[in-house]
Amino acid sequence: MVLRFKWFFWPILIGSLLLVSLAYSQNKFRLKPDAKGKLCLSCHDNFKEKLKKQFVHTPVKSGECSECHNPHAASHGKLLDEDANKICFKCHENIVSKNPKSTHKVVSEGNCVKCHDPHASNNKFTLLKTGNELCFDCHKNIASAVAKVKFRHNPVEKGCINCHDPHASAKAGHLLKDDLVALCISCHRPDRPNFVKQHMNYPVAKSDCSSCHDAHGSDKGGILFDNVHIPVANKVCNQCHEGPTSPDPLKTKKAGFELCRGCHSSMMNDTFNKNRVHWPLLDKVGCLNCHEPHASSQKKLLRGEMKSLCGKCHSDTLERQEKLAAMEQQEKVAAKGKQEKTSIAHNPVQEGNCSACHSPHASDIGFLVNRPSILELCGTCHEWQKHTSHPIGEKIIDSRNRNLTLQCLSCHRSHGTGNRQMIPFPTITDLCVQCHKQFKR
Amino acid sequence: MIEAFKILLFISLLFFPISAFSAGGVKFKHIQSVYFDEKGIGLKEPEGVACNEKTLLIVGDTANDRLLLYNFQERSLKAGMEIKIPQLSNPIRVQINSRGEIFALDGKKRRIIRLSPEGTFKSYVDAEGVPSPSAFVPRSFKIDVDDHIYILDIFSGRVLVLNPEGKYQRQIPFPKEYGFFSDLAVDSRGNLLLIDCIKAMVFFAGKDSNSFSPLTKSLREYLNFPTGITTDRRGTIYIVDENGSGIVMLSQDGSFLGRQLSMGWNEGLLYYPTQVCINEKGEVFIADRGNSRIQIFMVVQ
Repeated sequence: MVLRFKWFFWPILIGSLLLVSLAYSQNKFRLKPDAKGKLCLSCHDNFKEKLKKQFVHTPVKSGECSECHNPHAASHGKLLDEDANKICFKCHENIVSKNPKSTHKVVSEGNCVKCHDPHASNNKFTLLKTGNELCFDCHKNIASAVAKVKFRHNPVEKGCINCHDPHASAKAGHLLKDDLVALCISCHRPDRPNFVKQHMNYPVAKSDCSSCHDAHGSDKGGILFDNVHIPVANKVCNQCHEGPTSPDPLKTKKAGFELCRGCHSSMMNDTFNKNRVHWPLLDKVGCLNCHEPHASSQKKLLRGEMKSLCGKCHSDTLERQEKLAAMEQQEKVAAKGKQEKTSIAHNPVQEGNCSACHSPHASDIGFLVNRPSILELCGTCHEWQKHTSHPIGEKIIDSRNRNLTLQCLSCHRSHGTGNRQMIPFPTITDLCVQCHKQFKR
Repeated sequence: MIEAFKILLFISLLFFPISAFSAGGVKFKHIQSVYFDEKGIGLKEPEGVACNEKTLLIVGDTANDRLLLYNFQERSLKAGMEIKIPQLSNPIRVQINSRGEIFALDGKKRRIIRLSPEGTFKSYVDAEGVPSPSAFVPRSFKIDVDDHIYILDIFSGRVLVLNPEGKYQRQIPFPKEYGFFSDLAVDSRGNLLLIDCIKAMVFFAGKDSNSFSPLTKSLREYLNFPTGITTDRRGTIYIVDENGSGIVMLSQDGSFLGRQLSMGWNEGLLYYPTQVCINEKGEVFIADRGNSRIQIFMVVQ
């Protein structure tokens, strides 16, 4: 008898608890029958207009305002039951697949209201705007580029979501719905005679289309990127690659910088005559570490904007610039609009204009600077003769070190230090007493 | 309970000396800085430094296109003899083998030369018999205790191993995923180490291994832009952080032991250092390029 009781007791208890909990969750505020949203609308009557819109969010439509809002009190704004950046995921938890290759920043931040109206809208999926207009609100650079280009890509015109998933992509970067090549060849069939002819009979069906084509459109025919390598423009692929019928047609005729040397011999000779060469130029990848071989949106066929390109290897410098920019911004806020006379960060570095000071291929002097001396380099922008009455120049020995002469970098660091005037010490006094020890307190 | 406590205490005392004298407690004590040659001509941006177990110190005085030979004995520096030969410009890495022969990598011509102990030119190290691809660009090189020469060939992405005469022996390809290798080291057991300046990682290949694998994860936390690596007799790894102007020490298994020195101009501080050498006596020689000097430190516990 005791055994039997035990057998039945637990399932009954658990079942009862489940039923109670279900009943509670269905009507956790114990609203009167038929109350629900109607009760809310008795005060929030401006919502009545909203509910007339074509697409209404399901819980709103069924009057389940308490799905998102707490009618009494809440720890979150707008009486939301959960943090505004998390509440949508309570129901839409599968909006991002597991281990996505890329996720839209607004989605990962839970900023769904950037695109959707949480209550109702006249656009499908309660979107704030329709089609590309919505995307271009944030992606302004693409919007302006797309508006200006001479040769447009049809799917872009029709809508960004032709190629991109607005939430996340399980298959590719840049929110692409599929691997780039698969996506392209779903429209551009590589076995079509015209395709084959345009690609000079080379088997490019598995090649990266974006190494030549700008999917958002361009001013060049065939939506090639605006800056095209001359052999590509002249359709002489075999200048660099083996012939299209050879066993390995996409293989380059030579490796590394030796391939480029054939045409760019004068530049290469200048480079190799210098004392110091930028080492990546000499590695397996060579010139292609920084330059695109086919076409690029950047001048000189650079692989990207200089800041990100140089920062790819010199991430320590790039990270420091980000910190300095944040610091500068914080200090600006703290100064309440008062203009500081000197800055924490060096403008060319902040702007990513690395070649303002450095020669990216080679130089005769250290740090690959592009002038014969640091004084001359800084002098291109700063009239240092007027800047200080402190002795400076080739004849002035640095008292800290007998082998050094005084120049700009004796007191400043061109990539910034976190201190104003880019000095390596917190105060000017700390800097000066490095040499003028008699004044040290 | 008391017995257990006693055992614990005994074990702690047993391991105390190991922890007390491990490289974790190591400090660099500045001994001397080298500014001039024997004629009083100043060093200019020296990037190379090599030492041996005797007293020899070789400096690659890079911007002066010359080598300098010193004797460092009982904390006293002698001579500073200049070696200036037409076959060598811009020496960026230097090494000495067991026979006292001097090797230097010419940063401009990107060729390694071999000199007699007296400093006369003997030959180029051209990796005779190297298989296809025959082209190679040495970014750095090292010589092991048996005088084998290891060349970091960035052009073909491999380490070339040559016999003491400079003839090709074997090659070890770079690992698949890497940023850029700026230096290599070979420890006393013949294990190879590569330092990746972009990923701030160390890669390892055992003595007879034909492949590299990561020894550490990214050490970005401790390193800005590492460009030099060496080991001491005990296998402790020393990494030169060029942009961070410091030396980071790792144990043989790649675990972080500590960081020494910092950026500055006064003695004992570094400004964009490049190569480091450590001898059996625990003397550390650093090519302090940005300060145009060599600094000598003593490893103290």
